[in-house]
Amino acid sequence: MGTSDPGALVAVYRRALPQVYGYLLPRCGSVVIAEDLTAEAFMAAVAAMQQGAAPEVDVPWLIGVARHKLVDHWRRQERDERSRALARQDEQELEDPWEETLDRVALHAALAELNGFQRAALTLRYLDGLRVAEVAEHLGRSVRATETLLVRAKAALRRAYRRSHDD
Amino acid sequence: MTTDPLDALHLPLVPIEPRPEFADALLRRIEARPGPLDRQAATIRYFVADLDASVEFYCRLLDFEEELRPSPVFAMLYRGDLRLLLSVPGGPGAVHTLPDGTVPQPGGWNRMTLQVADLASTADSLRRHRVVFRHDVQAGVGVRTLLVEDPSGNPVELIEPTAGYHERSNR
Repeated sequence: MGTSDPGALVAVYRRALPQVYGYLLPRCGSVVIAEDLTAEAFMAAVAAMQQGAAPEVDVPWLIGVARHKLVDHWRRQERDERSRALARQDEQELEDPWEETLDRVALHAALAELNGFQRAALTLRYLDGLRVAEVAEHLGRSVRATETLLVRAKAALRRAYRRSHDD
Repeated sequence: MTTDPLDALHLPLVPIEPRPEFADALLRRIEARPGPLDRQAATIRYFVADLDASVEFYCRLLDFEEELRPSPVFAMLYRGDLRLLLSVPGGPGAVHTLPDGTVPQPGGWNRMTLQVADLASTADSLRRHRVVFRHDVQAGVGVRTLLVEDPSGNPVELIEPTAGYHERSNR
């Protein structure tokens, strides 16, 4: 049953913390950022509970809050970066298919080279396995715009992946 | 059904223990969090039928910002110092359902009142977005006022100060 008592969060803290941190760390790839986002997620959870707003204090709900914080992080990063570099949008979309088997490690490394929106979209869609409509909701975009973003993100990922393989 | 090669990216959730110092420090922050009475933001809760449509309405048309949307039945928005909670009643957890089974409903006549700089242009914009008007711009005491409904039928009053408008002075 849901409860609005932040004490409920303290009760599940030891169990939930490695789950939330384990969700964030491999996705953002930085201990510093993962710790920041973990703290943000838990403090947001406290705020939500103080408002009687948390339907149920459990791990899936906390992961959901963490996912929001992760997307917000990339959004901020993207805003910061956009002022520096507008370019990088070389968009020739060649319809060459992916290789049959992909090197997962290289693929995850390539993901880290993408811009914030693209990284967020691919992470939600593929790492987390969300449906396109759910990705759209998290990003605050329409389903159409999200589909377009995913196509571009995949193309950018492919370029980054190929580059790392050609090196 | 074709498989997507990028499904190889799927990352199952594997728990990772953070640094103990970090874990302890965060726990202290959670426990030290001041209670709601210590906080400044005035808070209003509205019950809504469609969370997405409501968040869109308040954020796009009335300058709220989305702070949290941790579940499909709840969102927290801010407009300056005002915090607006949007809850879909009767959802999972159903925390707002009374013991006798009564489920809260949107609507009614009590409303939040938001000050805007230019009521006429706000009214135009709301009209363009096909927002329901309970009454159009009219003169009140010290304000001009407009009463509209959010997508769930909750009233929202918009005011623009006129001569004689009273505001408590800073103390």
